[in-house]
Amino acid sequence: MDTKRKMPILPVEAYISEEWFDKEQEIIFGNSWQFAGLTEDIQDPGDYITVQCGHQNIVIVKGRDQRLRAFHNLCRHRGTQLLRAVGKKQKALTCPYHDWTYDLSGQLISVPEKEEEFPDLELDKICLHKASVDIWRGMLWVHPKPDAEPITKWFEGCWEYLGPHDPTRLIEYPDTIYEKVINANWKIVAENYIDVYHLSHLHSNTLNMYDHANAKYGFVGDHYMFWEPLAKVYHDNLDKLSPTKRIKEMTDEYIGAYVPWLFPNTGLSETDSSWSVFHTIPLAPDRTKVVVRSKIEEMTDWEFYKKSAKSNMSWHGLMGGETKYGNDDPNDPMATGDFMAEDVYACEQQQKSLKNPLFSVAATALKGESTVRTFQGIVEKWMSK
Amino acid sequence: MFHKIKISNINHPIKDAATIRFDIPNHLYEQFNYHPGQHLIIKFNVEGKEARRSYSLNSCPHNNEALEVTIKRVKGGLVSNFANDKLKVGDELEIMIPQGRFYADINKDAYKTYFLFAAGSGITPIISILKSVLYASPNSVVNLFYGNAHQDSIIFRDKLENLKKEFPQRLEIVHTLSEPKVWTSWEQWKGKKGRIDTENVEWFINNYPPIAQSTEYYICGPGAMNTSIRKTLMDLGIPKELIHIEQFGGKKDDGNNDIKAIDNAQLKATLNGKQFDLIIPNGKTILQVLKEADSNPPFSCESGVCGTCACKLKSGKAEMKSNMALEDKDLNKGIILACQALPTSENIEIVFE
Repeated sequence: MDTKRKMPILPVEAYISEEWFDKEQEIIFGNSWQFAGLTEDIQDPGDYITVQCGHQNIVIVKGRDQRLRAFHNLCRHRGTQLLRAVGKKQKALTCPYHDWTYDLSGQLISVPEKEEEFPDLELDKICLHKASVDIWRGMLWVHPKPDAEPITKWFEGCWEYLGPHDPTRLIEYPDTIYEKVINANWKIVAENYIDVYHLSHLHSNTLNMYDHANAKYGFVGDHYMFWEPLAKVYHDNLDKLSPTKRIKEMTDEYIGAYVPWLFPNTGLSETDSSWSVFHTIPLAPDRTKVVVRSKIEEMTDWEFYKKSAKSNMSWHGLMGGETKYGNDDPNDPMATGDFMAEDVYACEQQQKSLKNPLFSVAATALKGESTVRTFQGIVEKWMSK
Repeated sequence: MFHKIKISNINHPIKDAATIRFDIPNHLYEQFNYHPGQHLIIKFNVEGKEARRSYSLNSCPHNNEALEVTIKRVKGGLVSNFANDKLKVGDELEIMIPQGRFYADINKDAYKTYFLFAAGSGITPIISILKSVLYASPNSVVNLFYGNAHQDSIIFRDKLENLKKEFPQRLEIVHTLSEPKVWTSWEQWKGKKGRIDTENVEWFINNYPPIAQSTEYYICGPGAMNTSIRKTLMDLGIPKELIHIEQFGGKKDDGNNDIKAIDNAQLKATLNGKQFDLIIPNGKTILQVLKEADSNPPFSCESGVCGTCACKLKSGKAEMKSNMALEDKDLNKGIILACQALPTSENIEIVFE
């Protein structure tokens, strides 16, 4: 293999090859706890959602005892996927193909024409394959293995580096979900999220409410922890500038932005006025879907309008209003003033170069990109397991 | 084996109950280790007569607390009134090391939601489990549903309130009163009313859903309540191995009475390293025969509740009249309660482990 073509730890093929992608799905995504939604996504007994973990689709359903159960979403008969997306108040799980039916604990309870067609089949010996599900920090998490380590063990040591937010108390407003398919490998997206060096450059005019020079960051196990203080002008004018109500728990003692990356594919962004989860779903070696869901303090429409109008009015004068490359082209992501658009653009531009024979990484920043090297080292460790 | 232990403190959490603290001497410290939920068997001497009772420990083994039991007065109760009226600090009682199969196995790395159900003095093992989870399993959470007759009969009310203040995120407590006093000198009852019945258990589960999805259910109260809670939980789809029950005041003829016991079955018993070969006359339990033979078997309640007389059936068959102490996993291993067991084969062999 061409040893020069490293990213700089992982080989370039880790970002472009189908083979590597499949192996990653199996080894990393088939063996780790993954974000599956917010606790309120499954409200009542019989409600369910489905989530993809690597090659495996998993259904999470709430029982009448209010406990969540997770099963691999395939019928034990001939493997048909039982359920799609989300649903309400199921009494049982029925396979669309031949109507084999399972109760909410995954037990097979009926098979059509059993006496004639399956006289020897013992229903009580057949159960859907179990997976693990738990709730952590107001989020649903699944693990494809039935005997996964406790979620608290997986995230051991992380809690103290996260914000004081209580996400279960905050409100997700309708139409605030951001979904985008990015033409880049999921690791490019993750590396962009944890790249400290780029913050003052790519986002020089968009994330200027934070004091990047005083950021604190590091890894706890395989998870990346990040905190940075507010920029002085933003901090001093927080009431005027923050677009939504300040989070109640975000007292002066805690103020700042907490932006961890939870291995393998979930970012959080916990700030003075919002709480967001950034879910990265690998679709192909060069395609990744990102779903961002945000929560804020409860506000009436009028409060919301007033607060954002005040923020908009104050922003230009205090924070500056220029975008990185002027603002004459409405289709230029670098002119939108939206840091997400800037990141998407950077990720896609990097992916484009990976197949170029001249591609190489000349050097990476000692501190500001140490995070990227560590992340790649973690992926490498998993892949050689 | 009983040990003479001195009472180091007595206080009254409510008017009609006494919490008795024991001063365990250093050399017995290890032996008196226990799991939260277990009980002590105490030998009392009341008016010249010996009486044995088992009382759950309400202290927490994970918090350096001295061992404590709490004894609630029972109308006409020999021992409970004696304990409340006559015992004083400095008295010695004979007690056996902690035992019992009703307990929570606390794991510091676990992430679990504990659902605890207690009625009246059933709070004693439950509060021990509750404190142990809070102090020794730092990620786990507890939901307690606690039933009493009225405001003045709530044992450990203040203690529970303080724990709620100490662990606001990890502890939920719901009191329910079956006969709340409309007026007391200091409050009007605004909380939940009624017993811990099917409807209230479902209400509790729905309103306090588990955070950690790995769950355990511990129930301690009178027999009828325990049975009804267990049935309700199982009807909701909770596997029975997650439900643990401790009963107060077991009834003798509650169980299966049409056991076809074998007349004069041969019993071979291994106890304290000794072999006993005995005959079991019709109608007698294994324990009765062993006691008559002066073999000194372990026992306490003789009602199938405490589990002290549990032994292992090595060969032959036996059936129990009643069983409130053993769970399915014990039964599958061949464990039986000697005080309830009648032989149903000609020869049986048991061992006390």
